[in-house]
Amino acid sequence: MGKKFVVPFGSQHVALPEPIRFVFTTENEIIRNVAVDFGYVHRGIEKACMSKFKYTQVPYVVARVCGLCSISHASGYCLAIETLMDIEVPKRAVYLRIIAHELDRIHSHLFAVSHLCEVAGYENLFMRVMRDRELVMECLEIFTGNRVQYDFVTIGGVNRDLTKEVYEELKPRLEELEKRLLQLKEIFEKDYTLQMRWKGAGVITKEMAQKYNAVGPIARASGLATDCRVEFGYFPYEELGYRMVLYHEGDIWARNMVRVDESLVSIEVVKNAMDNLPKGEINVRVRGNPNGEALVRWEAPRGELLYYVKGNGKPVLERLRIKTPTFSVIPVMKELYYNQPYALVPDITISFDPCLSCTAR
Amino acid sequence: MLKMFFYSLKNLFSPPATLEKGTPPPKNYRGTILYFEETCIYCKKCEMVCPPGAIIFTYPEDGSKKLKFHYNPYLCIYCGECVRACPKPGTLVQAETPSPPATADQKPNDQWFEIEKLAVESKKKWQEARKRMREQKNKNQQ
Repeated sequence: MGKKFVVPFGSQHVALPEPIRFVFTTENEIIRNVAVDFGYVHRGIEKACMSKFKYTQVPYVVARVCGLCSISHASGYCLAIETLMDIEVPKRAVYLRIIAHELDRIHSHLFAVSHLCEVAGYENLFMRVMRDRELVMECLEIFTGNRVQYDFVTIGGVNRDLTKEVYEELKPRLEELEKRLLQLKEIFEKDYTLQMRWKGAGVITKEMAQKYNAVGPIARASGLATDCRVEFGYFPYEELGYRMVLYHEGDIWARNMVRVDESLVSIEVVKNAMDNLPKGEINVRVRGNPNGEALVRWEAPRGELLYYVKGNGKPVLERLRIKTPTFSVIPVMKELYYNQPYALVPDITISFDPCLSCTAR
Repeated sequence: MLKMFFYSLKNLFSPPATLEKGTPPPKNYRGTILYFEETCIYCKKCEMVCPPGAIIFTYPEDGSKKLKFHYNPYLCIYCGECVRACPKPGTLVQAETPSPPATADQKPNDQWFEIEKLAVESKKKWQEARKRMREQKNKNQQ
């Protein structure tokens, strides 16, 4: 029976990418109680979209909620407005949106994988994954004009087209990336030190995932087959060679492998989409004001993203509500900390890939 | 683990993977916005469409139609909406080089707040001047 100590995993920490505060009550370095506090990055974006910006300017505002999943936010909002105003997007624009989405997913997953290796202490592998991630960033810069905030998706289509020179630049980079990702996958499966650290740690069973409503790669690593890309038919993923990645162990190693495998599937989807681009225009003229309400659920790199839009005939929206995937996953994270040694806390937190800018907009 | 060791050893004797400072950006980079006054018709569509409000027009005192264009490269998000909204192609063009960085003696924000205030005041004076011009024209016609 030891004495109870209160240890904060503070809002600023070396292992955290964004501020979130946990207060642990530990006894002999085993955690007995957790208190969560987030909201440090609140900027009032929903209120600004309802008072200051017109509904055609909102995709640019909402894309800046998060840096890593920026195109998912813009695309979710545009899908909601297009459902509300009955706008039909041309097929070429749909394929171009898929290409940008999947490239964004690859770069976000590689960031998470490299951060997990850094927290495990393997800095050499962290630098190697970041170096391979630079290939994707170059692809995005050539395709959309910028590395992180691509102002690419608007209401009614996209802004730029895929020309032949861009295609010639993207193809060799994607093939090189696929070779390097296969080498990385072999390292993750066979390396002795990483297996000792990650296997059997932070296990989420399938019943736990269902009870606490886990979403995204975390649910797919526990055997729960849920993915918004197949459940809703906004984009034609099935015909482009998409397949769902499922693992059943549910520990930190499985979550890592889900992300690496999903990156490989995304490269396949991008190559198929680029080869089979249909001809046509890239955007459609939009007239009028939104009237009514619409709800859209879309797959960001971290899970399910929900957008609710309500308009009443004026150029400024009446209500905009965003629900982000990290917010859904916080109850599972809290549940996982009980009766774990304190030294495993950074690994568990980063294996969830938290994006706190999305959670507190 | 042995493979990573050989990879690190190879990296020890290779050149660095980072790009040198001053490497130009790739083609179709979203750069700064350039304005050509000859073809502008002063419809102010670019000012209405810009999301952060980086384009402002100030009005002349005498009531003529020729407005003055101001652009803030430090507020701009380089989305290109103004280029797409302009009805006369060739007036607003997006270059492929980034904007030059601000230096300390330029005081970018203070000057921009002055321009915002000037836009509101000069618009009021311009509207009064145009009202006087219309009344003058009505009197001359009678």
